[in-house]
This record gives sequence, C-alpha cells and structure tokens, in this order.
Amino acid sequence: MSFLFSGGGGSAANPSAQSEVVQSATTEIEMITDLFSKLVNSCHKKCIETTYKDSDLNKAEGVCLDRCVGKYFETSKLVTEQLQKLQQQPQQ
Amino acid sequence: MDFSRFSGKERVQLNQYIQKKEMNDFMHLYSNLVQRCFEDCSNDFTSRALSTNEKTCTENCVGKFLKHSERIGARFAEQNAEMMEQQAKQAGR
Repeated sequence: MSFLFSGGGGSAANPSAQSEVVQSATTEIEMITDLFSKLVNSCHKKCIETTYKDSDLNKAEGVCLDRCVGKYFETSKLVTEQLQKLQQQPQQ
Repeated sequence: MDFSRFSGKERVQLNQYIQKKEMNDFMHLYSNLVQRCFEDCSNDFTSRALSTNEKTCTENCVGKFLKHSERIGARFAEQNAEMMEQQAKQAGR
C-alpha cells in the first residue's frame, strides 16, 4: 500500500527516534493490520448472521466472506486509481 | 516481513514494536469481541444473569468470530500477495 503515500513523512529531529527504515516498516505494518481489521469488521457486518445458532460458519457466510474480501480489494484498487487520476489532472 | 535487511539495532526496535502491537491488538480484539457478542446476544434485562440462550449465543458468537477472522485472514493473504505481485510487476516495467 506504500504507493499511496510515496511522499513519506518528514521525521522530526529526535535523538531516540527510530531510523527511517524502522519507521517505514512500522508504517507498513500499521497499514496492513489496519486494513485487516477493517475487513474483519466490514465483512462481519455484511455476512455474519447475528442469531448465532451455530458456532461454525455456514456455507452462505463462507461464500459471502470470500467475495467480501475480493470486493473490498477491488474497491480499494478502484478508489486508488480514481484518486491518482484526480491528482494528475490539475498538473496537465 | 523480511528481517535480513535490518541492522541488529533496528531488529531490536522492530521486535519491541511488534510485541507492543500484538499486546495492544489482543486487548482490542478482546474488548471488541465482548462488546460485539454482548450487543448481539444480550437483549433481555428482566434478569441479571445471562440466560441459557444468551450463554449459548455468546459462546457461538465467539467461536464464529474466530473462524470468521481466520477465513478473512486466509483470503487477505491471497489478495495481498496478488497485489504485491502486481506492484512488483508495475515497478519492474
């Protein structure tokens, strides 16, 4: 996901600060775990029946989850492309 | 994550960060799960104690959530790998 923020944040002068390599690694981890937790929440809301008659995922829920993740990624790609387009337009 | 590109000091920093994050994430998972299952299962307040139904519901809620996030994790890993591959391809052009 690093292509979204190719500029990189300016690091303030702090002697105990982490090196840039460590910072970019932690940022990457933050972004991935953030995306994961968003997926867990969104797809739970959309796919899981809240009657909880069973502790196993039923067939419909499983299929829904698989599609939900695929769709989320496709949406993210589409939004990224649209944003990039918008960013490029004023410079032309 | 490939750790070989980090120096010893950087590895220590990263490990500290990951440990702290794991702890934090677990606390969040726990408190969110309590809230989620409470809201979905406990709706009758004519009694103070959880009813049998509410208990079963809560147990199923926890079990289902863990299976749910496992499944999301599997699909997530696949999609993420695919996306990285595409990015690498684009960068290589």
